[in-house]
Amino acid sequence: MAVSWLSRLAVRGPATVFPALGMHGEDALYRLARDPGIALVDTPRHAAILLVAGGVPPHLQDALRRVHDQLPAPCATLWYQSEPLLELNQPGAVIIDDPAALPGAVKKTWRRLITREQDTAPRLLPDTPPNPWQGLGDDGHGGEGMMGGVPYGRPMAMPPTPDLRDGLALDVLTFRLGPFFPLWPAGLAAEVALQGDIVQQFAVVSPAFPQAVPQIFVEAQSRPVAIAELERKRVQHHLYAFFHALGLAHLPGLARRALALAEQCDSRPVQALDKAFTAFERALVRRGFFALYLPRGATLEGEDARALGGVAARAAGVEDDARHADDGYRRLGFSPVTQQAGDVPARWRQRLAEIQQSLRLIGRAEQGDAVTAATDSIELPQGTGSAHELLENQLPGLEWSEALATVASLDVAEVSPWPHP
Amino acid sequence: MNTSIGVDVAFWLLAVFAVYTGWRVFRTDSMVRASFFLLLSFIAVGAIMLLLSAVYLGVAMFFMMGVEMMVMALFMVMFMMNPAGLNPMMMVHQHKLSIGAGVAGFAILAAMALLAGFPQQALPADLEPVASLGHELMGDSMLIFESAGVVLLATMIGVVVLSSPRGRFGSAQHGSMPPGLEPGGDPAGMPEKSEEAGGHHHHHHGH
Amino acid sequence: MAASVMLEQLFWPPVLVFAVLGGGVYLWAVLDGLAARLLGPPQAQSVWLSPLSRGAWLLVQQANTTEAPDLWGWRLAPALYLALAAVGLALVPWSRDWVATDLATSLVLWGSVEALATVVIFLHGWSANSHFALMGAYRYVALGLSYLLISMFVLIGAALPAESLALTQIVTSQEDVWNIVRQPLGLPLFLLVGLALTFRGPFNLADTRDMAGGTGVAVSGPPRLVWALARSAMLVAFSGIAATVFLGGWLGPWLPGPLWVVLKMLAVLAVLAGLGRWFAVVSPSRCLSLMWLVLLPLSFVDLVWAGVVALL
Repeated sequence: MAVSWLSRLAVRGPATVFPALGMHGEDALYRLARDPGIALVDTPRHAAILLVAGGVPPHLQDALRRVHDQLPAPCATLWYQSEPLLELNQPGAVIIDDPAALPGAVKKTWRRLITREQDTAPRLLPDTPPNPWQGLGDDGHGGEGMMGGVPYGRPMAMPPTPDLRDGLALDVLTFRLGPFFPLWPAGLAAEVALQGDIVQQFAVVSPAFPQAVPQIFVEAQSRPVAIAELERKRVQHHLYAFFHALGLAHLPGLARRALALAEQCDSRPVQALDKAFTAFERALVRRGFFALYLPRGATLEGEDARALGGVAARAAGVEDDARHADDGYRRLGFSPVTQQAGDVPARWRQRLAEIQQSLRLIGRAEQGDAVTAATDSIELPQGTGSAHELLENQLPGLEWSEALATVASLDVAEVSPWPHP
Repeated sequence: MNTSIGVDVAFWLLAVFAVYTGWRVFRTDSMVRASFFLLLSFIAVGAIMLLLSAVYLGVAMFFMMGVEMMVMALFMVMFMMNPAGLNPMMMVHQHKLSIGAGVAGFAILAAMALLAGFPQQALPADLEPVASLGHELMGDSMLIFESAGVVLLATMIGVVVLSSPRGRFGSAQHGSMPPGLEPGGDPAGMPEKSEEAGGHHHHHHGH
Repeated sequence: MAASVMLEQLFWPPVLVFAVLGGGVYLWAVLDGLAARLLGPPQAQSVWLSPLSRGAWLLVQQANTTEAPDLWGWRLAPALYLALAAVGLALVPWSRDWVATDLATSLVLWGSVEALATVVIFLHGWSANSHFALMGAYRYVALGLSYLLISMFVLIGAALPAESLALTQIVTSQEDVWNIVRQPLGLPLFLLVGLALTFRGPFNLADTRDMAGGTGVAVSGPPRLVWALARSAMLVAFSGIAATVFLGGWLGPWLPGPLWVVLKMLAVLAVLAGLGRWFAVVSPSRCLSLMWLVLLPLSFVDLVWAGVVALL
């Protein structure tokens, strides 16, 4: 029959998954991104499987329900290291805790959905408009006057602030971009007001989930640890940042290479890592990452940069690096690298420079089995501060894709006091 | 005039479509939809021009109206105090006056179409519309078209320059203002601030 | 007599156009898949089966709605885009007397296809009643108004040696030397226009990742399949026009004319697939500066060059 051969053909395609990341859910994302039989999509409408990875706090569960209802039939939900919603916590709910079993479980759910062995998930929220408007008001458009008042629940477009640019004031488009938006840090929810394509206001409604530091950095605060291990974790962190940015730049092949390099950081010998990284850097330049994609974005200077610390500060010319105060590092010939410009391309060049610096340090440290000398000045890969207030100040005036590139270039989330689970 | 039955059928269908979509421009509830209904009406008219052997003009009609209505729809989205044209709104006002004007206009134009004496001569069999159009443009009407063309080009370049964010006194992001006549004084050449300040009181009637 | 005339004029042209579109869309998907496997992450499936299985899944998926879309516009926009692609492909001459639509002004009709494509893409984004879809739509319009000028200047440059706007005449004017040799700037600029017209690769400002899919953010199921088909069909039509105007159409030794056209179209599609996958997406303001400050003056240069060569 028509349905069955269509389904059999459809099953052979990649499993489409929308990742709704909760707290510490990124490793599910990285594991699935490496699997060629799984396609991670940007919008729930393009997906058949909703993967909730990591715990979702109670105040965000309403948003999760709305995301869940956006998946078109046939759809299913998988819970990875996460507690299912009350309405979905039935005996058949698929809860996975083992990272190695995740890709297999996703593909199995996909097969069962497409071949109709499994029913599509039920809707959680009522399918009625939140503000009924049809037939109401002066002209049947729900509201007063000719403008139609407040239909669809959307506010009228009276500009609350004069347009940031000179000239005619364009209409304001206000929307809330939620905690499960896959193209910025997980958990960040903001109310954005656009006029034209320029961000006029950016108000953080819910901050990004705190990012955990690897276990080794926590240990380094109480006893000396091997510098090589610290630096390997630092390289891994920067490569994960490249993975996100290269996805935004429409270079999925390079993003996957960055991810593969990041996964090999712990185990591969440093000469092989160095060669692979140099090839990666050449490919970045040749494919136009700097020349075509990266905008100037938000420029940090002075006090803002110093407060953020980490890569963002050093890219703005601030020479703060806690490793400089550490004798173990100084014996290896460490000196901080900086860029001058403080804008988005500078931050990415700074990451590239720091990865190269770390690879050199790893090489030297492994020869001599060097360890850290101080326990009070540890340079975390994320820097010191969280960037939410900075986003509220710096993003207005940027065009939308410049704003997202800025968010991708900063370590927005604050540093969690607890280590990676 | 001997025209085949196919051409007649096509003409009537296109004419009815043009009138219907023209009527829908006023009965729809969104500015963007109104622009696109107008585009459909113009496309039908362009197709009728193709039937009349005005090959270049008909196709140029598609081209021009496509871009014009697109720009108009974009302006609706940008400026209409109606977030992105997504709210439904009442499109018409002054009903009695506009209905009267519409009926009067229709009567006059219909009288012209039905009662005027159109030329009866058939087109020559070896007519090359594009070549004859070209000869006219480069011959008798060269002055008009060349000056119009240069004016259009100057307008386009002027618009692009005006919309550049790099103003004469600084970037538009920071509201470029001319320097004062004395150091630290008010910006020169600006009109006196009127009493009703803060005033974007847009009481638009939706148009 | 009348029946055979009707068969010739009303039946075969649409059948030809849709057959070429169908085959062309599949071959384009295969070429794009090859480019993706060479330049992008490894894929699990065979390159021949992958477009079919993705299409099958889209047919199985439900077509969702948003809260209050303009349903007519939303569902019609992919079909209109496909129809525009069919109109564009109908202009391509397959041999000296085998062309689906032979107008005296086929070049201007292709220009209006490009202009109306902008309208249809905007409609697809705006009708969805969703913020990102709208943003993708109006961002695309800004891009569209830029490349239309470039495309028309480049095509007029190719029409000058032919002294005609008809595509059949343009091909016969290339009998001694192809336009790609005579006007070297023409084809590279036109290829960039093609990428922009179907918002692919570096010029993907409409269905872009930083808006979670742009105009297609709220579309699922069969309408999404039709939209993808329409984009590929427009690329196929575009490659037909590029092969006709710059690569000599049906001209070539040994093989029959139509086969040459198909081979040249496949070559253009392969180049576009590679270009689309190689480069990062261009940031919107940089894209506008590139179009207006670099590519438009280059197209002027191309036109002046063509004029000088035609006068000499």
